[in-house]
Amino acid sequence: MLLDPGMNLTLRPMRYPDFYERYRAAIRNTWTVEEVDLHSDLADLTAMTDQERHLINRLVAFFATGDSIVANNLVLNLYKHVNAPEARLYLSRQLFEEAVHVQFYLTLLDTYLPDHDERAKAFAAVEHIPSIRDKAEFCFRWIDSLGDLDELRTREDRKAFLLNLICFAACIEGLFFYGAFAYVYWLRSRGLLDGLATGTNWVFRDESMHMEFAFSVVDVARAEEPSLFDDEMATRVTRMMEEAVAAELAFAHDLCGDGLPGMSAQDMRLYLEYVADQRLRRLGLPIRYGSANPFPFMELQDVQELANFFERRVSAYQVAVEGNVAFDETF
Amino acid sequence: MTDRRLMIENAAAGVFADPENSKVAARLLAEEIAEEAAGQGVERFSDSVRIAHEQGLLADRTAEFVAEHAGTLDAMIDDAADDRFEYFGLRTVYDRYLLRHPVTRKVLERPQHFLLRVACGLSESPAEAAELYALMSGLAYLPSSPTLFNAGAVRPQLSSCFLLDSPRDELEGIYERYGQVARLSKYAGGIGISWTRVRSRGSLIRGTNGHSNGIVPWLRTLDASVAAVNQGGRRKGAACVYLEPWHADVEEFLELRDNTGEEARRTHNLNLANWIPDEFMRRVEADEDWSLFDPKVTPELTDLWGEEFTEAYRRAEKDGLAVRTVPARQLYGRMMRTLAQTGNGWMTFKDAANRTSNQTARPENVIHLSNLCTEILEVTSDGETAVCNLGSVNLAAHLGPGGVDFARLRATVRTAVRFLDRTIDLGMYPTPEAAAANTRWRPVGLGVMGLADVFFALRLPFDSPEALTLSTRIAEEIALAAFTESADLAERFGAHPSYDQTRAADGVLHVDHYDSAGQGPEWDALRARIARTGLRNSLIVAIAPTATIASIAGCYECIEPQVSNLFKRETLSGEFLQVNRYLVRDLRERGLWTPEIRDEIKRGEGSIQHIAAIPAELKTLYRTAWELPQKALIDLAAARQPYVDQGQSLNLFMATPTIGKLSSMYAYAWKAGLKTTYYLRSRPATRIAQTTVAAAAPAVRPEPAAQAAQSPRAAESPEFTVTDAVACSLENPEICEACQ
Repeated sequence: MLLDPGMNLTLRPMRYPDFYERYRAAIRNTWTVEEVDLHSDLADLTAMTDQERHLINRLVAFFATGDSIVANNLVLNLYKHVNAPEARLYLSRQLFEEAVHVQFYLTLLDTYLPDHDERAKAFAAVEHIPSIRDKAEFCFRWIDSLGDLDELRTREDRKAFLLNLICFAACIEGLFFYGAFAYVYWLRSRGLLDGLATGTNWVFRDESMHMEFAFSVVDVARAEEPSLFDDEMATRVTRMMEEAVAAELAFAHDLCGDGLPGMSAQDMRLYLEYVADQRLRRLGLPIRYGSANPFPFMELQDVQELANFFERRVSAYQVAVEGNVAFDETF
Repeated sequence: MTDRRLMIENAAAGVFADPENSKVAARLLAEEIAEEAAGQGVERFSDSVRIAHEQGLLADRTAEFVAEHAGTLDAMIDDAADDRFEYFGLRTVYDRYLLRHPVTRKVLERPQHFLLRVACGLSESPAEAAELYALMSGLAYLPSSPTLFNAGAVRPQLSSCFLLDSPRDELEGIYERYGQVARLSKYAGGIGISWTRVRSRGSLIRGTNGHSNGIVPWLRTLDASVAAVNQGGRRKGAACVYLEPWHADVEEFLELRDNTGEEARRTHNLNLANWIPDEFMRRVEADEDWSLFDPKVTPELTDLWGEEFTEAYRRAEKDGLAVRTVPARQLYGRMMRTLAQTGNGWMTFKDAANRTSNQTARPENVIHLSNLCTEILEVTSDGETAVCNLGSVNLAAHLGPGGVDFARLRATVRTAVRFLDRTIDLGMYPTPEAAAANTRWRPVGLGVMGLADVFFALRLPFDSPEALTLSTRIAEEIALAAFTESADLAERFGAHPSYDQTRAADGVLHVDHYDSAGQGPEWDALRARIARTGLRNSLIVAIAPTATIASIAGCYECIEPQVSNLFKRETLSGEFLQVNRYLVRDLRERGLWTPEIRDEIKRGEGSIQHIAAIPAELKTLYRTAWELPQKALIDLAAARQPYVDQGQSLNLFMATPTIGKLSSMYAYAWKAGLKTTYYLRSRPATRIAQTTVAAAAPAVRPEPAAQAAQSPRAAESPEFTVTDAVACSLENPEICEACQ
């Protein structure tokens, strides 16, 4: 079975050809950060209000670490316990995509935040911005929940693993990221930050596929062992979803303050609840909120096709330079 | 591989153990070259020129001149002069300067043939050729690389540097400039170009009712163009873009060389320089705000300097024309960061450059930028591209028993100026704008190399008062001789055509801008002389970096301290160990040139400060550029400046730069009256592990230098994990052969 302990290496006969097809589809969707043109964004940024800029800065600060956390969990937990070589192929591919996302947001921050102090602060957001820290802690809690499980031997073990998987698929990629995407698309609906929106489209597409893959794994595990999805599981998933919505809502309050034209914490609450319900529905669980999507611009989003990619030079990183302007230092 | 080649390599490899091996290797290489040339039928000088001409490499004029005087010229060749070459110098000549058969790639001249060929390319009589050849074969003076490459050739592009005014703020002007840059780059000229006139991001474009994307996309195109023109050629293209810090795109400009961020906003081939008015530095000092303007709105700022600039700038502020206002220190801090991270973003000073220039007596004549190496300061306009022909005197070759032989130095300078002036008329100019400017102003740039050799030979620490006095005296002697020669030339051929537009025509020489400089009867006589004859050249002295020609001459580069007592030169033809032969001599005399000490020098990456056995006096003398107070370098440059009517390629060194140290240093350089500075050299944060010396205890770190305060760097960089043979990892200086 899929969650059996071990390192299955047999690709033929293939037990889960669907995973293999997902792997191949993902490869066709390869994109590189260099294809995203952030040029026009800079002009938009200078024209923005302080409130809007605050929202952007917080948003990119979250992006700066979000994908790294997902990648960590993938390596530490998912790859270890999903025991099918075709599934591991997909996970390997997903890991690469997470790396591209990390690179994209890195490039974004470097471009958006020319001031090196601000930039350093954004990358350290996990440590000192409470609304981002809380979300990260939520993630770490679930990464750690499997920390000492080397093999899924018992039913309880497998339930714990599924909770971890669902958390990352439904709450982190499926909710935190979806919340963040909403801000981006809101901005684009106002003609702003087209570069960010372009890159986000591609990230969004990747994340959708990651989520779908994870849900397929849940589906298979559930089909192979229906008793995993008992009432307790349902309760725990719903509670987890509630926690995630609360954390993302706190983030929304931080971002929106008293609200911006077309975007407020109230609207974001409805949106998050709507998305959370969708995740629960996908898992075959009762919906929790019954809210409707308040954001018309989200309905318009459709994943574009990406035709080609090309190589460019690899970026190197430089040592930071410390200190402040002074006139009396020895040289 | 022939036996001789093997012997050459063995000798070259033994340079660190015994620097004399360098001469041994050079002698063997000279034999090898002679044999190779003989295989092509070249025995006498006149054979060489005849064959090279037959192969289409040399001009008819050169061939005719040599054929006519073959006997006399052949007799001039002094093959024994090859003994003066160190191995690396001769190897450089062999690899890159000697003419080669277009098909066989075998050399068609011996080193001395090459030098006499260059002399003949610049001479009108055998006597003249003999005079220049004697200086070159004595390694006392060398013209810059373009002249060495092309003198006597079919297309004699002899000029080192071209300075192009900013394109006009319109599409056609910008594309015209791309074309000019391409044509100038093609013939190995280094390019300086201003971009200050081009409108900033967000500026309205009337023709399309759109908004400008600012200067970055244009500079990207320039970047690609510069790189493209030189592909497959002799070297990488090289250009430096100048921008004034009031331009509203200045922050993006400063990020063009960053390795991070959006690739579409980066230019990896362009060098960057800030062209800074005094008003900016004043506001940095006073911690005031600084306004950024769109040059479309304030076009007048580009063509004003000094008080007039300040007034216009403040008026524009008062009129509310600024695009944005930032704290001046914030922008200054960002400039420092760019310097620290990229070595680029050179600090050059618009007002000092214009205030003291001989060319800027009339308001319509303005210096808008310096060149690729920051030593040339000449007026430009839309129709005039400034040009400069360079050459440098090797000070090390002018040492006599009693120190510097000033009489000989003066004689060398006079010959050098005469031949630099000659190159103006012989040169081929790739654009009419360049030809126009050069014939009108006739500027030349005579520089020096080997100052560090002089200090070592005379045992003067770089930061000693005696070194300052001597360095200034050398500069003054050179200026006196050079101006005298230019006055002589004016007497014979007339003053340069735009002489009446110069300050000299108004009775003001460059030196007169500096208090207490240019005093005494000699200067008075010179002033009187110039008042009578005028000058043949509007500008005469410029301190170029000399990297390549200093290699040929076997001396330290221009006015620079040594970067290391032991370092590795990396070139296309291999790696060459260079050791400070003055240090070796001193250690040998004391019985200290032992394998153990050599290993210690390696471990210290060419520093000797940590070696207990070496006496303090030697430690003080043989500090490296990283261990010297940079203030001393600036003080030397400032004291020399009255006698340098153009600029100086002054590199500054800081192993671990901080914003605080850098901002203090550059503010000091500005206040000291320097016109320009060049690279900030710093050292990489991590290095590979040493393999040729046994690892010492956990970390070998040099003790602070004899004068502790003067060695902040050595004390601050504890990780001596270190490279193999003590490479000094400067950014590869070979990208620009123009000034060298």
